[in-house]
Amino acid sequence: MKHTTETRDDHMIVFLDGRLDTTQADAFEKAMTGLLDEGHTKIIFDCEKLNYISSSGLRIFLIMQKKMMGVAGKFTVCSLQPAIKEIFDMSGFTMIFNIQPDLEAALKEE
Amino acid sequence: MIIAFGFFPVLLFLLCLFLLDSFKLVSVRLLALCLLWGIASAVLSYFVNTAFMDAFGLSDQWLSRYVAPVTEELIKGSLLFLLVARRQVGFMIDAAIYGFAIGTGFALAENTWYYLQLGAGFDVLLAIVRGFGTAIMHGGVVSLFAIILIEGVQREHHMALGGSIGMLVAIVLHSAFNHFIFDPLLMTLLIIIFLPMIFYLVFKYTTQHLQNWLEVEFSNEVDMLRMIRVGQFRETRAGQYLASLKEHFPAETLVDMYCFFSLYLELSIKAKRNMLLKESGFPLIMEPDIKDKLLELKTLRRIIGKSGEMALLPLVRMSHRELWELNQL
Repeated sequence: MKHTTETRDDHMIVFLDGRLDTTQADAFEKAMTGLLDEGHTKIIFDCEKLNYISSSGLRIFLIMQKKMMGVAGKFTVCSLQPAIKEIFDMSGFTMIFNIQPDLEAALKEE
Repeated sequence: MIIAFGFFPVLLFLLCLFLLDSFKLVSVRLLALCLLWGIASAVLSYFVNTAFMDAFGLSDQWLSRYVAPVTEELIKGSLLFLLVARRQVGFMIDAAIYGFAIGTGFALAENTWYYLQLGAGFDVLLAIVRGFGTAIMHGGVVSLFAIILIEGVQREHHMALGGSIGMLVAIVLHSAFNHFIFDPLLMTLLIIIFLPMIFYLVFKYTTQHLQNWLEVEFSNEVDMLRMIRVGQFRETRAGQYLASLKEHFPAETLVDMYCFFSLYLELSIKAKRNMLLKESGFPLIMEPDIKDKLLELKTLRRIIGKSGEMALLPLVRMSHRELWELNQL
């Protein structure tokens, strides 16, 4: 999986591209920990190009959510593909995360 | 103050094990129950051992070497056997911690008894040997019993087999310790060195195993449930397999088998979600209809019967782990 980052206003946007599975999870988690260490408190995961997520990937989403709650920050997930959205719906993770339909909506969220 | 040496090492060891449980598999309620059972085991063992001594005129040495290891391990291990049978223990990690807690409770009661009995004779050296050696030995052997028991169950052997082997190992180690083949301080040192290493390896192996299991099963179950919900189940190999069973089962049973499979997937996904939430320190999500769905699953399992369950084995294996997982909801 590839990921790129972009800062817009005071938001750090992470664009996820490809498969977030067990082989990718460790490297991605390290990269995200780095972002948190830099002190970002508004992080958006743009998942428009994310086409697969396993439990290891979901664990990273949970870690991000937990850490952002710890610093009174905001973690938003947006642009989920239908198949990925269904995973969140089926497992009930939609109750845990702030999920927005697209990046614009995520940026407007306060 | 000296009694603290008899208490703290084993309590500290238990605390470390509890903190190493990254998936939070251990329930605090059950942990407390195990500690209490350990204390009760010590009291029960005292009466049973005394009865043996009186009935057979056994010497203290015979009792401690050959009788006490058997009676004490059987009494301590009985609660674990019950917990595993009730599917309240799922993996080696929680089994090991519950086992150690029972041994801890036992050691706390035993060391208190020795302290009260010996008074000034309970010196620092004895406190160290009992606190670092005997107490941790008590926890360690019950842990090993629990690990072997749960491993046997997960390999789908009969509980009695894993239980017997585990119990034999616990009894032999306990008896060997009580033989004092080596100097007590040396044995204490060996326990302090080797037991944490064993626990480290067990925890590392189980955590990896658990992560792999979650990874594979979660994705497969989500994919399968998605196919069911979009009406494309028959296009999957699982769907074709289920359809092929219509020659062997009445139509209504087949419908129940389909419902059972679909409901199982839904509940299993939610149970795995709760495990992920627990691991990350989030409160668990309890959907209001979960209890009804679990009841429905139980009813469907009864209706499809053993033959239906056997036929579904390639799709759903209701083994110990799956049943334990549903207990997490």
